[in-house]
Amino acid sequence: MNLIFETDKAGLQKFYEEIIAKFETYAPVEKFEKFDYKRVSKLEECNPDSPIPSTMSVKPLFFPKTAKVMKFQEDSSGTTVSETDEDPLAGKRVILGVKHCDARGLQVLDEVYKWDYIDTDYKKRRENTIILSTRCDKAGTQCFCTSLDYDVENSDAHDVRIVNGLDGKIYIQSVTEKGENFLKENSSQQSVVGSQQSVEEIKKHYKSFESSFRLKMNYKEVNEKLQKLFDSPEFDPVSSNCISCNTCAFICPTCHCFKISDEKIKDTGVRYKSYDSCNNGYFTLMAGGHNPRPAKYRRWRQRAMHKFVYYKERFGVNLCVGCGHCAISCPVNISIFDVVNQVAK
Amino acid sequence: MDHSKQIQEIASRLFAENKIDYFVGYRQNSFDDTQVPFLITDPAEIPKLVFTERSVFNLSNYLKPDHTKRKRVGLVVKGCDSRALNLMLTESQVKRENVYIIGICCEGVLNEKGEKAQNCVECVMPDPVVYDEILGTASGKREYIVNADIKELAQKALTERADYFENIFENCIRCNACRHSCPLCYCAKCCIDQETSTLYHGANTSSAGMHALMTWSLHLAGRCVDCRNCEKACPSHLPLHLLHKQNEMVIYENFQQHLAGMEKDDRGAFYKYSLSDPDDFIL
Repeated sequence: MNLIFETDKAGLQKFYEEIIAKFETYAPVEKFEKFDYKRVSKLEECNPDSPIPSTMSVKPLFFPKTAKVMKFQEDSSGTTVSETDEDPLAGKRVILGVKHCDARGLQVLDEVYKWDYIDTDYKKRRENTIILSTRCDKAGTQCFCTSLDYDVENSDAHDVRIVNGLDGKIYIQSVTEKGENFLKENSSQQSVVGSQQSVEEIKKHYKSFESSFRLKMNYKEVNEKLQKLFDSPEFDPVSSNCISCNTCAFICPTCHCFKISDEKIKDTGVRYKSYDSCNNGYFTLMAGGHNPRPAKYRRWRQRAMHKFVYYKERFGVNLCVGCGHCAISCPVNISIFDVVNQVAK
Repeated sequence: MDHSKQIQEIASRLFAENKIDYFVGYRQNSFDDTQVPFLITDPAEIPKLVFTERSVFNLSNYLKPDHTKRKRVGLVVKGCDSRALNLMLTESQVKRENVYIIGICCEGVLNEKGEKAQNCVECVMPDPVVYDEILGTASGKREYIVNADIKELAQKALTERADYFENIFENCIRCNACRHSCPLCYCAKCCIDQETSTLYHGANTSSAGMHALMTWSLHLAGRCVDCRNCEKACPSHLPLHLLHKQNEMVIYENFQQHLAGMEKDDRGAFYKYSLSDPDDFIL
């Protein structure tokens, strides 16, 4: 059995404070009524239980919005290329308040990052990070994580899981070995060790959590149908009001396309890697001027199929994790849930 | 302000008379009372069209070539939307004969919290300035007012203002949703999308992000109609109106009380020249 502590609100607060005092801690910080994961030094600065619709994904802490790839310098003898002075991650760090969907998103990203070329920066960040869950009680309007190909209740995406019991108690449970060691070392304030009853209570919580979802779908059926629907005419009407901005991809916890750009001043420069999006018209534009995806429906087809078919075929996991971030942030409220269900109707 | 019935009737008529290929209106979201833009080619979908104070999006944005290229379009516009459309017509982005405009005398739309949107409180022209058909009762032009937050910002020292904006833009993810949702940003290749340029490269360094948004706002100076589509589209909820309203204020004061898109064939503040133009703010 995993390590479980029973506690209450004050106990949880002490637990958080202990972590923040000891480690480099990141947690959702509010700005303009939107939460984003930032470095915190006090518990008052952040809200580990930030509401679902207004919280950005945790992806930028592992795959930064902008990362330096290398430096270069030109002189009479040619161009010299050197490593950047940025260290991806020196010590251990802890992230508080990570949603189920976000944590699963990282597991999904792991597949692509360990395939073919191994991204060492990403790997280092993943290995040195402890992920603590938020207390997801109720699904948001666009959430559908329970409808996909992973088991939210038994997932091992978090290292430590924090659950609001229906009996009013709060349960802190380690999920992975990393989490268990972390909990052993950092729970000096916690005294009540949970029993079999706590496990039952956590189960009950997930039952009530699952019943709060507005969006439900039959994942297997949708996936099977979509495999044969590349030429479906339905992609056109569902994407007709898309304005081809990049929002959905940039805030998605699993989108991982990037572009390379150089910042050059006189003879020295830095090469950056930053986000890119397949919904943008330029994404597939080639040097010769040909663009294989000039129309919006082709770009949306790529997005929907990559999320629900291609990635599953290649890596065995679904790329979409059902967080609903894209639908919430989309300027015209296009939901990938509606798109795939409409096409696979 | 519910014009759903009338809009449905007009749309059916236009399709029946074969005057349009596309109709652009609003549709109710299935999960709450918000609305989304709705593009239809099939008259069977007409009953889904609605228009209430929740119809916030500026539909002139769908006249860009990406969406309804070389098509005849029926379009619903509010006061601010029609000003943007007016500019698009003047700037030869749309042919007048290709759009059938249903103008709404707007009583103000609601924001996410259900309050009257700030730009509607400050609105100078709630009635459509260009239309084929008009719905509602016209209430006329209103006085131009500058909100307290803009005045306060303008009084800050230059360095202080720079810090203020740097703090705001820190949360920018450079998704460019602001630009894509702006009906007046129609360039085939935008200057802030150049991967190879030194200032505007795609990376989200503080200098590149700030430069991109500043340049964007300057390209819209004297053209922005304050529909705040950009602000509504921003996933980080950045107060982008601070940039545009500041420009608007400076232009109103120095360019003969110019407001963008109010008149037919008005080409924007920077195209007009008069000997009485003040020049003491230049250098």
